[in-house]
Amino acid sequence: MARMKFLCDADRCIECNACVTACKNEHEVPWGINRRRVVTINDGKPGERSISMACMHCTDAPCAAVCPVNCFYTTADAVVLHSKDLCIGCGYCFYACPFGAPQYPKVGNFGSRGKMDKCTYCAGGPEADGSKEEYEKYGANRLAEGKLPLCAEMCSTKSLLAGDGEIIAQIYKERVMKRGYGSGAWGWKTAYRETIES
Amino acid sequence: MLIKRTHQHSPGHGSVVESLAGQAGGLDRRSFLRKSGLAGGALAALGALPVGSVRKAEAAMAGPLTAGATIRKNICTHCSVGCTVTAEVLNGVWIGQEPSWDSPINRGSHCAKGASVRELVHSERRLRYPMKLVNGQWTRVSWDTAINEIGDKLQAVREKSGPDSVYWLGSAKMTNEGAYLFRKLGAFWGTNNTDHQARICHSTTVTGVANTWGYGAMTNSYNDIRNAKTQVILGGNPAEAHPVSLQHLLEGKELQKANFIVIDPRLTRTAAHATEYVRMRPGTDIPVLYGMMWHILQNGWEDKEFIQQRVYGFDDIKKEVEKWPPEEVERVTGIPGEQLKRVAKMFATEKPATLIWAMGQTQKTVGTANVRASCIALLMTGNVGKAGAGANIFRGHDNVQGATDVGLDIVTLPFYYGLAEGAWKHWSRVWEVDYDFLKSRFDSKQIMETPGIPLTRWFEAVTLPKDQVAQKDNVKAVFVQGHASNSITRIPESLNGLKALELLVIADPHPTTWASLSVEAGRKDGVYILPVATQFECKGSRVASNRSLQWGEQIVKPIFESKDDLEVIYLMAKKLGFADQMFKKIKVENNLPEAEDVLREMNRGSWSTGYCGQSPERLKAHMKNQAKFDMLSMRAPKDDPEVGGDYYGLPWPCWGSPEVKHPGTPLLYNTNLNVMDGGGTFRPRFGVEREEKLPDGTTRKVSLLADGSYSLGSGIQDGYPEFTLASLKKLGWDSELTEAEMAVINKINPANPDTVSWALDLSGGIQRVALAHGCVPYGNGKARMNAFGLPDPIPVHREPIYTPRVDLVAKYPTLPDAKQFRMPNIGFSVQKAAVEKGIAKQFPLILSSGRLVEYEGGGEETRTNPWLAELQQDMFIEINPADAAERGVKDGGWVWVTGAENNSRAKMKALVTERVGKGVAWMPFHFGGWLAGKDLRGNYPKGTDPIVLGESANTITTYGYDPATGMQEPKVTLCQIAAV
Amino acid sequence: MVSFAKFVRAAVWACALLLLIVAAPAPVGAQQVNPTASAVKERQLLQELNRIQGRVSIPDQRSGVLEQPQGREWREFHNVTLRWIGGVAIIGMLAVLVIFYLTRGMVRLESGRSGRTIVRFNTYERFVHWMTATCFIILAISGLNITFGRPLLLPLIGFEAFSEWSLWAKYAHNYLSFPFTIGVVLILLMWIGGNIPNKVDVEWMKRGGGIVGHDHPPAYRFNAGQKAIYWIVVIGGGFVAASGYVLMFPFYTTGIEGMQLAQIVHSIVAVLFVAAMIAHIYIGTIGMEGAFEAMGSGEVDVNWAREHHSLWLDEQMARTGPNDGQPQPATAAAE
Repeated sequence: MARMKFLCDADRCIECNACVTACKNEHEVPWGINRRRVVTINDGKPGERSISMACMHCTDAPCAAVCPVNCFYTTADAVVLHSKDLCIGCGYCFYACPFGAPQYPKVGNFGSRGKMDKCTYCAGGPEADGSKEEYEKYGANRLAEGKLPLCAEMCSTKSLLAGDGEIIAQIYKERVMKRGYGSGAWGWKTAYRETIES
Repeated sequence: MLIKRTHQHSPGHGSVVESLAGQAGGLDRRSFLRKSGLAGGALAALGALPVGSVRKAEAAMAGPLTAGATIRKNICTHCSVGCTVTAEVLNGVWIGQEPSWDSPINRGSHCAKGASVRELVHSERRLRYPMKLVNGQWTRVSWDTAINEIGDKLQAVREKSGPDSVYWLGSAKMTNEGAYLFRKLGAFWGTNNTDHQARICHSTTVTGVANTWGYGAMTNSYNDIRNAKTQVILGGNPAEAHPVSLQHLLEGKELQKANFIVIDPRLTRTAAHATEYVRMRPGTDIPVLYGMMWHILQNGWEDKEFIQQRVYGFDDIKKEVEKWPPEEVERVTGIPGEQLKRVAKMFATEKPATLIWAMGQTQKTVGTANVRASCIALLMTGNVGKAGAGANIFRGHDNVQGATDVGLDIVTLPFYYGLAEGAWKHWSRVWEVDYDFLKSRFDSKQIMETPGIPLTRWFEAVTLPKDQVAQKDNVKAVFVQGHASNSITRIPESLNGLKALELLVIADPHPTTWASLSVEAGRKDGVYILPVATQFECKGSRVASNRSLQWGEQIVKPIFESKDDLEVIYLMAKKLGFADQMFKKIKVENNLPEAEDVLREMNRGSWSTGYCGQSPERLKAHMKNQAKFDMLSMRAPKDDPEVGGDYYGLPWPCWGSPEVKHPGTPLLYNTNLNVMDGGGTFRPRFGVEREEKLPDGTTRKVSLLADGSYSLGSGIQDGYPEFTLASLKKLGWDSELTEAEMAVINKINPANPDTVSWALDLSGGIQRVALAHGCVPYGNGKARMNAFGLPDPIPVHREPIYTPRVDLVAKYPTLPDAKQFRMPNIGFSVQKAAVEKGIAKQFPLILSSGRLVEYEGGGEETRTNPWLAELQQDMFIEINPADAAERGVKDGGWVWVTGAENNSRAKMKALVTERVGKGVAWMPFHFGGWLAGKDLRGNYPKGTDPIVLGESANTITTYGYDPATGMQEPKVTLCQIAAV
Repeated sequence: MVSFAKFVRAAVWACALLLLIVAAPAPVGAQQVNPTASAVKERQLLQELNRIQGRVSIPDQRSGVLEQPQGREWREFHNVTLRWIGGVAIIGMLAVLVIFYLTRGMVRLESGRSGRTIVRFNTYERFVHWMTATCFIILAISGLNITFGRPLLLPLIGFEAFSEWSLWAKYAHNYLSFPFTIGVVLILLMWIGGNIPNKVDVEWMKRGGGIVGHDHPPAYRFNAGQKAIYWIVVIGGGFVAASGYVLMFPFYTTGIEGMQLAQIVHSIVAVLFVAAMIAHIYIGTIGMEGAFEAMGSGEVDVNWAREHHSLWLDEQMARTGPNDGQPQPATAAAE
C-alpha cells in the first residue's frame, strides 16, 4: 500500500516559492493562510539552505493525538486529513505540530481562531471526492484524479518530491549517491521516525 | 477514527462522483504510483536523475469540478525561460493550471510567478475600461473617444513638432507579432523613437555580443547547460530571476559533478548552491575577467588552435590583460589572486565551460564592454560553439529576445537590418509600400537613418533645452504600451518629464507607475489609460532566451474592455490614417490583425536572422508535439511526420523558407554539425579584411575570415564571406537558382543583381543554394576580440560614475562626455563632479539592485496578484550587519535611504543580512507607488491600485549611460542609510 | 517535570545561539567559500538546538520555525501526564472528601442556632463571589472537556454532538475568562485585608482548624483555611488567567514553546485549582452547617460566628452589636 510522503531536497531548493503559489492557485487559499512555506536556514551565509515545508502527514500524527475533538483521520494513502465540521479551532494541533503546519483564519475578536486549515496533500477532505463542498472547504482533490500534490508537481527544480515514500526515498538516495552530498531528508526523522541513509 | 463520509447528501452528481471514485480512488491510483517508481528507475539507469515527483496524469481523469474543461497552452509571461503554461478552461473561465509535463523546457515546473499566472487574468484589480485624466480625476471614456482624442492630439503634436516628438515605447511583453507591428507603427508614423525593455536589460549584450561574433543572443540554451563541466555565473541570480532554469543548472551540476562558480557581490540564492562563491566589488566585472585571463595566459591554458582559426585581435587583448596582474585585480575587485586562479583554471581546463550572465554585467555604463570581456574569455578558452559551452545570456522578459529581434528598437528596423537606406528599401519591398512614402513620413532622410532616443532618457528628451536634442523638437508625447516607468533610473527627474508632456498614453493591463507618478507630478489632464489584455488572452509567438519560438494559444478572451495589443496598434494606425498601407499584406478581422498573418510577413522579410523558416503552422505543430522533443538535445526524432528532426521551437536562425525544413539552430556557431542540422560559423559581419597599423607606421591587411575552420559538411572548407548572387556565380552555384528565384533577385536590384545578398533575397534562393552546399548563408568569419568601431574596441575597466573608490577614478575614468543617440552623455563630468564634491564620503554605501522571485519588472502586475504579493509585502534594502550596527539599523526596522542625486530619499524596511558584504546595500527594483515616503495609492484609478506598494529603487539610482547603447546604471551607485 | 527542564534547556540554548550570532565576526571576505560543501545539515541542527529556525519573507515570522520536535514532549504531557495529574487531583480530592464526609459527617453548629444573625458578606461581596464562582465552574467544565472530553464524553455522544458542544464550550471558556479575571482581581482587592497570615493562623493550623475533632480554634474574619482558599484563588487565578491569555492571543507575546509552556502551566494550575475548589465547595455546603448562609443570604448565625470566627465576632460586636434578628440593610454602598 502506498504511503504518501513529502521530501524536500534542500540541495535543490532555491526558495522560488512555486510550491507556495501553486498551492494558493490550486486551492484558492486565502491571504494569510500559508499551507506551505519556504524557510531559509543560515540566510546569506555560505551553507545557506532553503526548505519547503508543509504538513508532513506524519506517522502517528501528533495533531491527531492531541486534538480534543478527534477531528483528524488518516487515509489509506497515509495522508493526514481533518474535518472542518468537527474542528473547534482550539489550536492544540499547532502546539503539537513539529512543522508549524496548522493555520487558522482569524475570526472575530482577540486573535481567536477559526477552523484549522492545512495542507491536504491535495486529497480534499471528508466530503465526496471532487465535490463542490469538498473544494470549498479543503480545496482540490488531485489524489482522487490520479495526480500528486501540485506543489511538488510544479517544483521548479524538482526539489520537492511527493509520492510513495519508498519511491521518493529511493530517488533521493540515488541523487545523493550520484552527486555526493545531501543535507538530509528534512523532517523525516521527526515525521516518520526514519531517515534516509545514503 | 473518522472515515470518509459517504456521499448520500449529494445525489445531484452522485453518479459522477461514484464513477470517479471507482476509477481513480481505488487500486488504479496506487498502480499509478508504482508506475512512477519504474519511470524513476529507468531514468536513473540512463544516467539522468529521476525527476522525482512526476506521476503523470496519463488518463487525465478530471474531477467533477473540472469535467469538460478544455486544455489550452500558452507561455508564461514572467521571464525568458519560456515555460509552457497549461490552462484548464471551462465555459470561458480559466479554472485551473496543470503542470506542463511535455514541455522540454520546463518539464512541468514553474516558479512562484508561473504557478500563479491564472490570477493575472482573473484579477479584480485589472483596468476595466479606457480612462482619461480630467481635472485631476480619472474618468471613464469609451474606446472610440479615447482613440479619437489620442489620435487628434498626436497629429497636432506632429504638425507642430514633427514625428520624432512622439515617443513610442513598446514592450517585451508583446508577442513577436505585437512588437513587430509596434515597430512598424513607428516606421509608418515616421520615427525611430521606438524602444522597449531590452534597452534597460540586455541592449549592451545585444550590441557587445553581436559585435563579437555576429548575433547578440544566448549562444546555447538552458537545457544545454546540463552538458557543462564548469558553469560560471558572473552577474546573474537565476535562482530568483530564472528559477526554472536552475532545474537544468543544478541537475547539470549534479550529473556532471560540474564546477558551479558564482561571482557576485551578493551571496544570492544561486550562490548558495555554488561549489565556489567569489565575492567581488560591484562594477568590476572587467578586472575580474581580465584577472582570470591573466592566469589563463600565464599558464598557457588558452585554446591556441581555436584562437588561430576563429579569433581576430588576440594580440590586442594580450596587451590589455598584461595590465591586470593578481595584485591589481585584488586592489580593484577585492578578489584574492589564488581564488581567481582556481576559478580561471576550472574555466579554462575543465571544459566545456559556460559563462552565464544577466543584468549584473549589462546594466552598467561599461555594460557593452563587460559582455565583450565575457565573450573574449570564452573565445580565449575555446568555449564557444560547443555543447555545454557558450555565452548563456539569460534574458529578462518572456519575449525580450523576440521584441529585440523584430526591431522594436531605436537603432534598427526588424531583424537587425539597421537604418540605412538599403534596410528601409528592403522593408518597403517586404511591406509592399513605396520607399518614398516611408521617407515622406519622416522629417528628413537623415533623421530616418539616425538612431532614436533610448528609453532610459525619455524624460531628458522632454526637458533638455531644445538645442541639445538632435531632432526637430523635444519629445512632447509618449505612447507607452506595456512598459513600467519605475524600472527606469532617476525617477525624481522623470517627474519633470511627466509634467512637461503634452500627452501621455498608457496602454497596459494595469495603470502602472506612469499613472500614479504623473498625478504626483501634478498632471491634471492629458493622460489616457487603455486597458490591454495579457498575453494569456491573446495568441502569437514569443521567443525564449534560447531563441526558440513558442506559439501561445488564446486561453480566454480579453476580459472587461481589454483589447489585444494587435488591435490597439491597428486602431491607432487606422486613426492616424495609414492602416491600409501598414496592413496591406495582413488579414484584419474586426480591427484585429491576424497573428498568423503577421508572422508570415515577418517570415518573408527576416532572412538576416533566420526567422524565415518558422511558419505559424510549424510553430503550432511544435506545441502540439512537445512531448516528442528530447530534453537534452531538444530535437525530435527524425522520422516524426510533423516535427521530424526539428529542434524545439525552431531556435533561430532557422534558414530558408519553411519548405526548406531547416531544423533551427540550438547552438550558435557550432562547427561540429552540418548547417542543415543546426551547425554554424562565426558571422563575418564587419568586413572581409582589416587594415591594421603597425608600430613602424606601415600597415598590413588582416583577414577577418575563418582560417581552416568550417562547419561539418561545408562545401567551402575555409573561411568565406556572406553569400551574394556574385559569390554564387563565382562558385558556379548560381545555376542552381530557379527561374522564379532569379526573377525575384533581379527585381530587387534590377541595376546590379549581383549585389543582392542572402539577407535581401526575398526568394530565399541564395540561402537555399548555400545550405545545399553545407554553407552558412552569412559566411564563415572570425570572432572579434578587437571589436573596432565600438567606443572601447578592447574592453577597458572604467569605474562606475558614482564609485566609492575615488582613488581609482584617475586611473580608470569613465569615457569623455560625448553626444550619443541625439543627446549629450555627460557621464565624465558627473563622475568628476562627484569625486570633487566628495559624494563618496556623504554616501559611503554601494547601492545595487536586482530581482525578487515573486515579482517581475516594475512589478505592478505581480504586486497586484495576491498569491505573490502576500510573499513580499514590503520594500526593503539589504544591509550588512556591520553597516547596520554602525547605523543603529535593526532587521525589519524602517530606514531612510538617501541617494547621491536630487536629494532623493526613500523609506523602506531594512533587511540585515550577510547576503551583502560590508559596504554594499541592495534593493529589489519591483516596487512602486510610494515616493519619498509618501504613499501614492490615491493616485491610481479607483480599484486598480496594486495590493503591495513601496518605494522604487530607481528613486535613488543615478546618472550613467553606456556609450554604445544608452543603457542605464542601476546596478552600481552610492547611497546612505539611516534608521527612521 | 521533565518537560519543564527541557524548556529551560531550550531557552538557554536559544540565548547562547543569540549571543553567538551577535558575536559573529564580520562577513567573510573573498576567501575560499564552497557553499555546497558547507551546507547546513538537518541532523546537526537538530542535535544542536532541537529546533530549526530560519528566515521567511511573509510577515508571519512564527512560520520561520521550520521544525520543533519538542511538540512531541508537549503531546506526551497533554495526553498522558496531564490526564494523570488531573485525574489524581480531582478524583483524589473527591475520594478524600467522600471518605471525610462518611467518617466525620457535616460539621454541626455545636451550640445550636442563636436566632440572631450577623452580616458576614454584603451584596457586593456576594455578587463578586458568585460571578467568579459561576465563571469558574463553566471554565472548569469546558476546560476539563478539552482534556478529558475526548476519552470520556465523545464515545458517549458521538463526533458531531461532541464537536458542537466543545465549540460552545470553547466560546464560553474564552469569553467567560474576562469576568472571571475581573472577579479574581476584585477578590484580591476586596478581601486582601482579612487574608494576611498572622499568628492566629499558626494556632489555628496547629489545632487542625477544628475540623478533625470538635475543637474551635479562634479566628478573625478569615481563618487559615479560608486564607488558603483566598490565596489559591488569587494566585491560581492569576496564573490560569495569565497563561490563558497567552493561549488566547497566540503569538502576541510568545512563540510556540511559550504557548506549550503556557498550556502546561494553565492546565496543571487549573486541575489543582479545580481540586481545591471542590474542597471549598464541600466545606461551604454539605461540609459545614451554617456555612452556606454566609454566601447565600450573607448573614450568619451569631453562634456560628462564635464557633468559627470568634475573634471576628468580638470585633463586630464591639463595633455594632448583633442584629437582634433584624437583618440590616445591605451596606454595600457604605463599604
